[in-house]
Amino acid sequence: MRLRLLTFLIPATLVLPAHASAATVSGEAVQAPAPAAIPRTSDGKPDLSGIWQVLNTAAWDIQDHAAQKGVPGGQGVVVGNEIPYRPEALAKKRENYEKRAALDPEAKCYLPGVPRLVYMPFPFQIVQTPRELTFLHEFVHAVRYVFMDGKPHPPAPIEWWLGDSRGRWEGDTLVVDVVHFNDQTWFDRAGNFHSTALHLVERFTLLDADHIQYDVRVEDPKVFTRPWDMSMVLYRRRERNVQLFDYECYGFDWEKTYPYPDMRTGQ
Amino acid sequence: MRTTHVLQAAGIVLLVLATPVMGQEAGPRAAAATPRPLERLADGQPDVQGHWNPVNPGSLSLTNPVPQQADFDPTIKPLPSRIVDPPDGRVPYQPWAAALQKQQNRDYAYPSKPEHIDTQHRCLLSGVPRLFTIVPALKIVQSPGQIVFIWDSYHAYRVIPLDGRPHVASNVKLWMGDGRGRWEGNTLVIDTTSVKGQRLTYIGDFYSEHAHIVERLTWPDADSMIYEATITDPAVFTRPWTMRVAQRRRPDEEMWETACFEGMADPDQFLLKNAQGIR
Repeated sequence: MRLRLLTFLIPATLVLPAHASAATVSGEAVQAPAPAAIPRTSDGKPDLSGIWQVLNTAAWDIQDHAAQKGVPGGQGVVVGNEIPYRPEALAKKRENYEKRAALDPEAKCYLPGVPRLVYMPFPFQIVQTPRELTFLHEFVHAVRYVFMDGKPHPPAPIEWWLGDSRGRWEGDTLVVDVVHFNDQTWFDRAGNFHSTALHLVERFTLLDADHIQYDVRVEDPKVFTRPWDMSMVLYRRRERNVQLFDYECYGFDWEKTYPYPDMRTGQ
Repeated sequence: MRTTHVLQAAGIVLLVLATPVMGQEAGPRAAAATPRPLERLADGQPDVQGHWNPVNPGSLSLTNPVPQQADFDPTIKPLPSRIVDPPDGRVPYQPWAAALQKQQNRDYAYPSKPEHIDTQHRCLLSGVPRLFTIVPALKIVQSPGQIVFIWDSYHAYRVIPLDGRPHVASNVKLWMGDGRGRWEGNTLVIDTTSVKGQRLTYIGDFYSEHAHIVERLTWPDADSMIYEATITDPAVFTRPWTMRVAQRRRPDEEMWETACFEGMADPDQFLLKNAQGIR
């Protein structure tokens, strides 16, 4: 129950009153920029349906980082840039970084976990119905359900690669509480990691029709001294007829094996 | 990994034995008093959302769909072939392809090379129409302008646009193919191109990357669906052929994570060492 309680303690800082944009100064209406129109479903909720992708370098390193060979440099997505590791955890993070070529779970083709899946350099599609939001990822065709029917997380112990996601609407913000992770995934290719005690609160807020403000509160008392936050923007893929393709992880050299060599007609 | 195969077969048998055996082509809810009619979604699509499962699931064989149950209960009659055209119920292979299917059947029983391991055992996607025959459930989600199929296993999914957009370029090959759909009354017609060469069964039935698949999913009522797929592949078959799999609605339930990921299984678990002697 502790997790449920913490969920309610997190302030709803992102719920902006939509009508507050017009202020009155000395009797004259001062027209602030009109709030952007956002798409809505038939039941009036913000409609997050569509194909989305980040335009950042968090997949390589969620903190500020300079370019290296094969790694684009970029500003991180960690608010304040500091991740409050416990001392022993910081040592492990540094070891992960040094040995990242061998240890990165992505290189082993494990399911990449949440929120890492969201900011990998691949598009994903949100399919929204009143009962649930389904996240379909191009990367290893991962599927995540965000259940919206108000049912609580199933009871622990459960260790899933993508955790268990339960969502609710706070105003126009989708708030998703995620628990029940295993400790086999990282946040990025730089070795930032977590334990099974990881608890996420994700907040999805449409800024306009084509942008989602995506904020994540990360809590894991076994690894971090305090909760910390990530913040980034998800961009709608607006190309004509855009659709997801597929990306298998190439965990082994399956292109030599499948389709089965004898079945190839060579035409 | 023989134990895995045996366990898998046993699981299929248990599941089948646990459900009333019905004719392959019979309506799954024939005994139900009043079939529930289909309702319509706001965008006009028939509402077919929910969880679905073959009446007789299993992708071991198309021509002899669930042969294992006789091992447990000799009174159970064999099921008819899933193939409804040609009328003899057999896959109309060209001679070379018929020989390859037999070889792949032997290779499945006595695997000695990585390519003998079924894609499903490697957590890769086995594509369509095969995923409409498997034991784990299928979930359908609809939103305006599209219908989405998601399978519990392999976290396989397929998004079918209904907006009439063109196919992707034919040289692009996708694990689930490139499907385009349209509703004809209560029938969803899906035209699929850009497939990879795929196996259709564990026993080596297959089509090539040249296959063109037209599926017809017909809902006689809200709780039953007839799945048909017509496969045209001049590189492998002598003529187009059609398979049919009756499906029925399952109770709605949350789909929880099925952690099947590529590279999870060590191929050495599957391969019989020194298998040359066996063959």
